[in-house]
Order: sequence, then C-alpha cells, then structure tokens
Amino acid sequence: MSDMIKCPSCAENNLPDQEFCQYCQTRLQPLTDPLDGADAPIKPGQAPTKKNTAELEPILPQWLRDARDSARKDDQQATQQNLQQPSQLKPASSAKDLLAGLQSQAGDDEEDDMPDWLASITGVNSKPIKSQTESFAVRWVELGGKDDFAKDESDGSSSDLAGLKSSEPQPDENNEVRDWFRNLGNPEQAQQPEQSDSTDSDLPDWLRVTGSQNEKSKSADSADHSESGVGEPPAGIISEEAESPSDSPKPNQDKSFEWLKSTVPATSSREEIPDWLSNDAAVPPAFTAAEDESAELKDAQSNGISDRLETVALQSPSSLTAVEDEPSGGISDRLKAVEFQSPIHTESEEKTIEPAQDADTLGWLDTFQAVSAYQPENSLAQVDFTPLDFAEDFQASDNMDGLFTDIPDGLLSTLEAPPSSLPTADTNSEAIAPDDQPSWVESMRPVDSDISELSSNFPADQTVESSGVLAGLSGVLPSGLGFAQMSRPKAYSTKLQVSDEQLAQAALLEQILAAETAPVPIASFSVLRTSRSLRWFLAFIVFVMITIPLFMRTQMFSLPVGVPMDVNGALQVAQAIPESAPVLVAFDYEPARVGEMEAAAAPMFDQMILLRHPHLTFISTNETGAILVERFISGPLAVHNYQSGIQYLNLGYLPGGQMGIRAFAQNPVVTSPFDMSLSSAWDSIPLEGISSLSQFAALIVVTDDAEAARTWIEQTESARGAIPFVVISSAQAAPMIQPYYESQQISGLVSGLYGGALFEQYNAGRPGSARAYWDAYSLGMLLAMALVLVGGLWNLALGLRERVAAGETQ
Amino acid sequence: MVFSSDLVTGLLSFLFTILIFSYLIGDNPLFRIAVYIFVGVSSGYLAALTWWQVIVPRLIYPLVYGSVLEKAFTAIPLLGAVLILMKISPRLAGLARIAMAFLVGAGAAVIIAGALSGTLLPQIAATINAFDLSAASARNISVVEVVFNGAFILAGTVFTLIYFHFGASPKADGSIRRLRLIEISASVGRIFIGITLGTIFAGVYAAALTALIERISALINFIGNY
Repeated sequence: MSDMIKCPSCAENNLPDQEFCQYCQTRLQPLTDPLDGADAPIKPGQAPTKKNTAELEPILPQWLRDARDSARKDDQQATQQNLQQPSQLKPASSAKDLLAGLQSQAGDDEEDDMPDWLASITGVNSKPIKSQTESFAVRWVELGGKDDFAKDESDGSSSDLAGLKSSEPQPDENNEVRDWFRNLGNPEQAQQPEQSDSTDSDLPDWLRVTGSQNEKSKSADSADHSESGVGEPPAGIISEEAESPSDSPKPNQDKSFEWLKSTVPATSSREEIPDWLSNDAAVPPAFTAAEDESAELKDAQSNGISDRLETVALQSPSSLTAVEDEPSGGISDRLKAVEFQSPIHTESEEKTIEPAQDADTLGWLDTFQAVSAYQPENSLAQVDFTPLDFAEDFQASDNMDGLFTDIPDGLLSTLEAPPSSLPTADTNSEAIAPDDQPSWVESMRPVDSDISELSSNFPADQTVESSGVLAGLSGVLPSGLGFAQMSRPKAYSTKLQVSDEQLAQAALLEQILAAETAPVPIASFSVLRTSRSLRWFLAFIVFVMITIPLFMRTQMFSLPVGVPMDVNGALQVAQAIPESAPVLVAFDYEPARVGEMEAAAAPMFDQMILLRHPHLTFISTNETGAILVERFISGPLAVHNYQSGIQYLNLGYLPGGQMGIRAFAQNPVVTSPFDMSLSSAWDSIPLEGISSLSQFAALIVVTDDAEAARTWIEQTESARGAIPFVVISSAQAAPMIQPYYESQQISGLVSGLYGGALFEQYNAGRPGSARAYWDAYSLGMLLAMALVLVGGLWNLALGLRERVAAGETQ
Repeated sequence: MVFSSDLVTGLLSFLFTILIFSYLIGDNPLFRIAVYIFVGVSSGYLAALTWWQVIVPRLIYPLVYGSVLEKAFTAIPLLGAVLILMKISPRLAGLARIAMAFLVGAGAAVIIAGALSGTLLPQIAATINAFDLSAASARNISVVEVVFNGAFILAGTVFTLIYFHFGASPKADGSIRRLRLIEISASVGRIFIGITLGTIFAGVYAAALTALIERISALINFIGNY
C-alpha cells in the first residue's frame, strides 16, 4: 500500500505506474522536466547552495534581529570562555539562539506547556497539553506574533532569552533519559541539535510543510521512541549533554540519526543516497515497531560504530577532533541552553561513548533502511535535518558562529561540503542567480525524484522559467505535447472524381428532377364575359320593349285567366273578413320594390276595402315601412280616402326583428303602445277592443323578402290562432313562401304583378296599375324568354361546333 | 309658375331615376351622387325614426308618464342600453357583454323555437300529408292530382337531399365514386334544384322587370303630365 499513489483530488489510491487517477482522471504524474544545475531539486544528502541573504536582514522582525545579535555576542563570549575554561559548561551562556530561548521558557512554565513539535525537538515526551498553560509565547516566537514584538520593545530582550537565564533543570525529566542517549559520546554529533535549532529558527516553509505532514505520526512515533529510545526527540539528548558535557556529542549524533530517519524516507530513494550514506545498504529494512527497534538497538550495540560514521569521521576530521578535544566548546550555545533546562541528564552516568555510538548508529541505520515503508510517521524535529546538514555539521563545526548569526545562510552554509563526499548540484547561473532566492524558496524546488520520470519525455524543451517559484528552472513546464510535431496538412484536390457511369446516372437523375419541376400547361376555360355592346344592346331592347307599351298604353296582352289556389285563398280571405273588421297589415319591403309591391297589394286591398271596409292597422319591422304605408294609403288606395286613426292606424316601426315580432304577437298592446303620432294606439278606433293578435280579423303580410314572411309565419304561429293569414310577396320571394301555403300555414299568397293582375280581374273592372303594366310586363317576359332561348341555342351551337372540331381533330 | 309638391317630387324622382340608370355605362359620378344621397337621406331618416319611434315612445314616455311598474320594467332595457353604450370605451367594453349576452341568448331561443314550430315541423308534416286524400278532397283536389303532387313533392325532396349526399367508397379501378343508385338519384335531384333556381331567377327577373316598368311608367306619367 505504501507504493500506492493517493490522488490529490479524490484521495483514492492508485497504482504508482498510473499517470492519471483511475477514479477522477486527475493527473498523478506532474508534467515537468527535470531540473538542472542550480535549479535542480535538493536531493537527500545534497548540500544546499550557500546563499547570501544579508539583504533580507532588514525585513526580519525586530525580535529575531535582537536574538541574532545577542546570539553573535554570546557566541563570541562563549568562544572566549571555552578557550579559557574548556572543561566548564555554563548552561546560562548557551542561550544564544532562538530555540534555546524557547526551551528555557518552556522550562519556566512547565513541560506540559510545550507544543508537540517543540517537545519532539527537545526530546521531551509529549504530554497532553493543557489549554490554560499552552505556550503561546513559543508560538509567538515561531510565528512572529505582535506580542513578541511588544516584549522586545519593552524588555529589550526576548522572553526566550530571558527564559534561558531563569530556567532550571526539572527533576522529573531525569526519568526520561534514554540509554541510547547516555551512550552517545561522539562529540561530533553534538553539533546536530544546533543545526536543528538553527533550522527551526529559520523555519523555512518546506520544513513546516514537512512537519505538518508528519504531525499525525508524532504520537505513535513518540510511543515507539519511548521504549526503544532510538527515536527519542533530540531534546532529551541535549538535556543529557548539560549534565555530562563529555557525553554531549552522543545525543547530537543520535539526534542527527533521528532526523535522518524522518528525512530520508520522504525525499530519497536508495539510488539517491550519497556515497557516504550508501555504506548502510546492509541495514535491516524496516522500522515499524518498538520491538524491532529494540532488537536493532541490541544489534547495533554489538556491531559497534557503523561504516558510515567512520566515513563521516574521515571526511571531517577537524570537526571531530575539535569536539573530542573540546567537548563543551564544540557544542553550540544553543545546545548548552537546552542542556541547561533539560534536567533529565542529572541522573546520567558517566558512560563510555563507544557503546552508545554503536547503539545510536545502529538505530539510525535501521531507520535508514525503512525508507519506503516508513515515511510519514516522524516528528517535526526529525524531519528538519537531512543527511546533508548532518554531514556539513561535521565539516563545519568550527563555523558555528556563522551558523547562528545568519540563520538562513547558516543552514545553507552546510552545503559547502567536499565534492568527494556530497553530490554537487549543477548550477544554472545564467538562468537565475542562486543568491536571489532565500533558502526556503530553494527548498520549494521540485524534488528530483518526482520529475525525473518526466525528464526524458521532453528532452528538447529547455525553456528557462523567468519568474515565479520555478524561476530559473528549465524544462519544467513543457510548451505542449504534439505541437512541436505539427506539419503542413496534406493537400487534397477539391475536384470531384467520378466515373463516366456515375456521370451518366447523375445526368439521368437530373433529368428526372427537371421533369418533375417543369411547369405543365393546364387546359384553361375561356371566361364568358358580357361585352359592353351586348349589354347595351340588350338594355336598349328591354327599354324599347317596355317603353313602347307604357307610352302607347297598349293592352295587347290579356290578363291571366284562372286563379291559382294560393291567390284564390287570398281572395277568399279578402272577401270573407267581417265588415269593418280589424285587419293587421305588416309592411316589410324595401322602397325599391314599391312598384311591384303596390301593384301586387293594391288590388287585394282595393277589393277588401271596397267590399268590407276593414279597419287597417299597419306595422312594419322595416325602418321605411311606416313611410311606405303612408305612400300606399295616399297612392293606390287614395280613392278610398282612408283617414289615419279612423279607418287605419299606422303603428310605425316595430324594433327587435324576430324578437320584436314575437313580443308583438304575445302582447301587442305593450309592445307597440303608440302610433306614428305618439298617440295611444290601442284606444283608437281601428284598434278598439283589440288587445291580442288573435282578435284581428286577418293578418296580411306585405313583403318582398321570404325571410320576413317566414319570420311572421313562425313567430305568430302560436299567437294568431285561426285568423286568416295572407302573404303578398314579391315575385322573387314567392317560390320560398309557396311551401307555407302548401302546408296550409298561410291562407293565401299573392305574388308579384301576376298575382295583382289576377286580383284586378275580381275588382269589378276597376282599372289598376297591374293592367297598366301588364303589356310591358308581358313583353319583358317574352323578351327574356326569347333571349334565354336564343342564348341557349347559341351555346348549344357553340358546343356542337367544338365537339365537331374536336372529333375532326381526333 | 307654381311648383307643386307633385312636380318637385316628380322632378326628383325623374332625376334620381336617370342617375341610377346611368349605371348602364358603368360606375360613374352621377350614379355615386345618387347613391350617396340615398345613403345620407336614409341615415337621417333612420335617426329620426329611432328617436321618434323607439326611444321616445318606448323609453322616455314610460319613465316619465308611466306607472311604477312600467318604470321598473323600463329601467331594465335602460340599463341594458347603458351597458351596450359602454362599448364606446375600450376599458368598459366588457360591461356590454351582459346586455349582449342577454340579447344573443334571447334571440337564439326565439329563432330556434320559431323555426321548429313554424317551419321545420309543419313542413315535415306537409310533406307527409301530401298524400292525404281527405285533406285533398276537402280542398276539392282530385285523387290523381293529389297522388301526382304528393309523388312529385316527395321525389323532389328525396332526390334533392340525395344530391347533397357526398359519401363515396373506393372502387376496384381505384376511383372513388358514389353508389350507382345514389348517382342516379343525385342527377334527378340536380334537375329539381335547377328548376327551383330557374323559378327563383324568373321571380327575380319578374320583380326587377316590374320595378323597371313602374319607373318608366312614372317617368312617362311625369313627362305626360307636365
């Protein structure tokens, strides 16, 4: 499972050879080129390039600068004192760096107040942290909080430094001294805590990130270390150093091993281990449990100092010699401060260094072998140091002052390792100057192991990044896959390549489509139009044929003989009504038909008035009906001298159409209460004693419209009772009214001039308008018949001729 | 010279008759003048007629001189009239729907009821009774004539109705035709329809001819009198 790659997007595990996540398709392998030269990533065991960060000095917080200044001064004083009294160690003088101050302050408060990371650094077992006594001051120092600045301004010195003087050894910590620490006697390794502290004080981002990644493994790791003692935090080491200065190199050495245990698994593979580390190939592979560590510790004790340590000793003889000769002087002041506040070393015995070195060395080697299987479970302090730092400390142990006075650079100064023992990174001075970047930026460079796989994919892309974190790196961001291999597209001919057969088929299809869309002439029929001359000719003939009889007052044509049944019915009604009976007459025709209607109605009314002297009541559903009534009375019936309101009454206009007729039929008194002169109609003589439709002696409808006749017939069906109903209509409406006579819904029907002429024959020879018009009417009808016949014959002749022509053509 | 009303009336009648006859040469200003004058006079006459024949006697008089009951009954059509007048305003046009709905509903009821009781049922009964010998004898019609008339009316009715039957089915040759019997009956019905239309045309021609004769007679009489 350790080989699995956890997807940064979905947190699912994937095989290490997969480039994309099998769950969310997120790229697992970065598309970056390997870094070269100075831009190359820092490999495990590689010494970082020393960089001058003096220009960053002004931007450091005041408290840090003060701490740095005091560290320089104290370092100088300690150096002088060490030269004078090499055998004496003064814990108070060791408080010269930042972490030392933290340690001292932690001693003032309580160990419980120390955070885990600090406890892991100092070697004190982490305990449950009390909320009230949480060492915020330590964090202030680390994070540069404002309170820390306030303290610097008020006290003139940091609380950390103050804590160095007031801190005293705690008896309880003596129980936490580990055997491996007691056995540490190598003065060379005593320098490691100093480097660690200096690194902490610099606290680069990569270190913080590494520490955060390993936080969750602190507790388990510390438990393991508490039993085996191999992985004990370096604080314990430093504490023991204070009591037994002669053994001070041991914990340093052991601490450096612990750091290696935490650092190597995270960043390096076995191939990347430098030569001076490659001697540990035979170390047991895993470091996963306390039992294993105990067993390995025993093996280490039996085996003695490893070859690697021997190699280191050979590579830095000067430093080793200095430590051995001057155990206290070879230890940094910071370590002395830590030593002073760590009382666990009070019970430490005067032990030989060699066994301890063997045990520590073996434990370190054991953990070194657990690179692939044991990566994250290391404390923050363990991750701090790399083998490079450790190696550099051996070589530059005499340059400790510079290490603490220039914190960022001090860490980088360890990179000045001999080329024979440390891999030297190629610098790309043209791309970017290494001094332009601080150490923590440089630490953010991509690890070589991550990008080594992709370096072969983009060998030609050596673009140097000019800005950003990747500034100075070449080939990290490829320009794009496949674009470099673009070539001119192949040219294709746009000419359609078809065979002759295909062309012939296309032509045939085109002909078919053209035949479908071609307009087809449709046989049209000539429109028969009346010519103007023909129309004028016919009009002339009709005028002549009509005018001559009228003008000459001829009587060439006799009146019709015989009386049709419908006219006979009307005649019987006219003759059957009682004397002076009230007769309701509806005048519903247009003024244009007045000549025909008067000619048709006048004979009947003339006979009826002449015989029965009825009281006529006129009403009209047509707006002009009332006027036509007056015209009718004063015209054709003028001879009878009928007086309005006496012999006849004109009720005028009846609004409402069919509903008005219906209402009048149901209640005529309410519907038409007044006559034309707005006098009460139903109190007049013609309507005396009449209150309903059925009380009239007869109902006569004079109309030129079949619809008006039908309306009167329909709406008065139930109201009129058995009174006779006669319709005097125009000749054009007679065919539609005739069925009502056949159904006996009306008593008689007089239609047009023909019906009027019939009535005039029964008027005792009284001349009427029908007789005056009869010759002209007869000639007009004959003319029409002749024209219709001639026209029919002409059309027949044309048809026969066309058929003959068509037959001949066929 | 004294111009009597008959002379003025005769002159105007003669003049407007000539203007209308000018339509023989097509649409012309003289014809249009006569038409516009008729339309104007008719509109004025209708307005006066509506006021004097409808509003005053059927609305104002009952409201002013009528009894309480008459006023109450008159208020209903008055309200309806006011609502219909709301159609003038687009915002209030919706109020007219009440009166219009009443008019349309009442009118439809009256027309349908009248058509059923006054035309449809009686005509059906008349067609059936065409063979009623007793009724024919009461009207002094011989049996042969009754049978012939009845048969003719029945044939005319049936064949005319068959003519308007357009249902057809596809034949074996793919053509869509009516049944043979239907085709023959429809042809006979077409003859009846032709005769009916010819009769109507003759009536229209007779009516128009009579009107023309009356106008020419009036002109001749006017000329002869003066």
